[in-house]
Amino acid sequence: VPYLWPVQDESPLNTPGSLFDVMGPIMVGPSSSHTAGAVRLAQLARFIANQPIHHVTFQLYNSFAKTYRGHGTDRGLLAGILGLSVNDERIREAYQFTGSLQYTFQVMPDDSSLPPNTVSIILGLQDGTQQTIVGHSLGGGKVLISRIDEYHVNLRGEYPTLVLFYQDEPGMIWQVTKCIAENKINIATLNCARRAKGSQAFMAICLDALLPESSVAQIKAIQNVYVVHNIDRLPS
Amino acid sequence: MMLQTFSDLLQLCQQESLSIGQAALKYEVARGEKDEAAVLASVRMMLDQMKATIQSGLYSDEKSMSGLSGGFSHKVMTFFEQSDKKFMSPVEHKMMAYALATMEENSRMKKIVACPTAGASGVVPAVLIALQEEKHLSDQTMELALLAAGLVGELVSRRMYLSGAAAGCQAEVGVATGMSAAGIVDAMGGTPQQGLDATAIAFKNMMGLVCDPVAGLVEVPCVKRNSVAGIHASAAATLAMADIYSFIPLDEVVEAMVKVGQLMHPSLKESAEGGLAATPTAVAFTKNLFHQGSS
Repeated sequence: VPYLWPVQDESPLNTPGSLFDVMGPIMVGPSSSHTAGAVRLAQLARFIANQPIHHVTFQLYNSFAKTYRGHGTDRGLLAGILGLSVNDERIREAYQFTGSLQYTFQVMPDDSSLPPNTVSIILGLQDGTQQTIVGHSLGGGKVLISRIDEYHVNLRGEYPTLVLFYQDEPGMIWQVTKCIAENKINIATLNCARRAKGSQAFMAICLDALLPESSVAQIKAIQNVYVVHNIDRLPS
Repeated sequence: MMLQTFSDLLQLCQQESLSIGQAALKYEVARGEKDEAAVLASVRMMLDQMKATIQSGLYSDEKSMSGLSGGFSHKVMTFFEQSDKKFMSPVEHKMMAYALATMEENSRMKKIVACPTAGASGVVPAVLIALQEEKHLSDQTMELALLAAGLVGELVSRRMYLSGAAAGCQAEVGVATGMSAAGIVDAMGGTPQQGLDATAIAFKNMMGLVCDPVAGLVEVPCVKRNSVAGIHASAAATLAMADIYSFIPLDEVVEAMVKVGQLMHPSLKESAEGGLAATPTAVAFTKNLFHQGSS
């Protein structure tokens, strides 16, 4: 049963970051929040989908809606879905590389409850399912994915990340981390939360390397694990 | 490494006899992602891209897609090389031209280094590379100077999002100017205290700067604003190195910027609805641009 996860407000402010977040990235202009940020949000959406994308709808909010044309936000979003990185000079001609991908841009009415540069990316996937990813461009090329379908997340693309939704029960963390340990992959951070004892629970594990698909399949097979996303880090 | 505030940074520099650039290198290495050689290699990569962008843009007359910019850096270089009316120094001419070159490449959707953002990407490279050329500074000096600028930006980014949409242009060109001022002081061998005072002086004069891009494009006033900001950073660095201190400490200046950013009306935060973007000339241009775009 889908449910809405309460937002865990872990602000990207106040956390010590790399100097290369400030002096960088090397990127195609003209705007780090509207062009590079757009590329990265769509890249993360592509990683989350993890299968061919047939059509995509970009719903643009607030500043994204008002200034997307002049900033190449539309080209950036398309480029990210197509797998280009922020420093790829083909972003400028992204419309020429869409091939069979169908795409729509929708300018949404102002919503002051959302951050200034917000996009909702609705993906139509090869397996016939649809996926909705909500993301925000925070400035200087930093991004945040806050929602995957009904689930609230806090994903920034800085680490390969495993996101799980599961039934709260003893041994769950052990079963999952065992699969990770078997690959000799180090866990950078592990965040867990649950709605209530024995209710739905959430795990986000930041890793120092991407987990191989075989291990992801093993984790998906664990009883009472509902959703697993294995999301690579953004290329720098 | 526990660095929360600029006062922590100053204390670290004084206790361990470090320049801001050396402290920045230590900070980045302590994060554990890269060792010292790898950090310096990444810094060199940034500097190399900054130089490459300036070189490709400097004498280019290619217009941006909107036609609002393109060819300005060429004009400044021509004025510098040929005019008998010039009165500023070579380093200042280069700072102005180099910032224009980078911003014009940016508006052509070419490769730049966001520093701290793309809309403010002209200032730091222009200031540091012009200084290196005119003062014959070593690559090693410039690597540390860029790290110093980076650490200033990083500490500010803990307090506010560095985007015009979040806090106005004070968070973009404003922050780039303060970063540059610290970079200049570091490159010229000033003290860490002078570096932070230079940043504070620069920020105090950039506080409240609105983000009002004509037609929402990163061109007017951004391109020329980057150019003038380099001179601004130089002035702030000169005052600080003459031992003129900032009456308000840098941490408090940053807090004030954060509050000003919150108070700033949404029409002045990158929405292209206020300031220069709402002038008759801008409105007429925007109407025409989008009319062409839809036909």
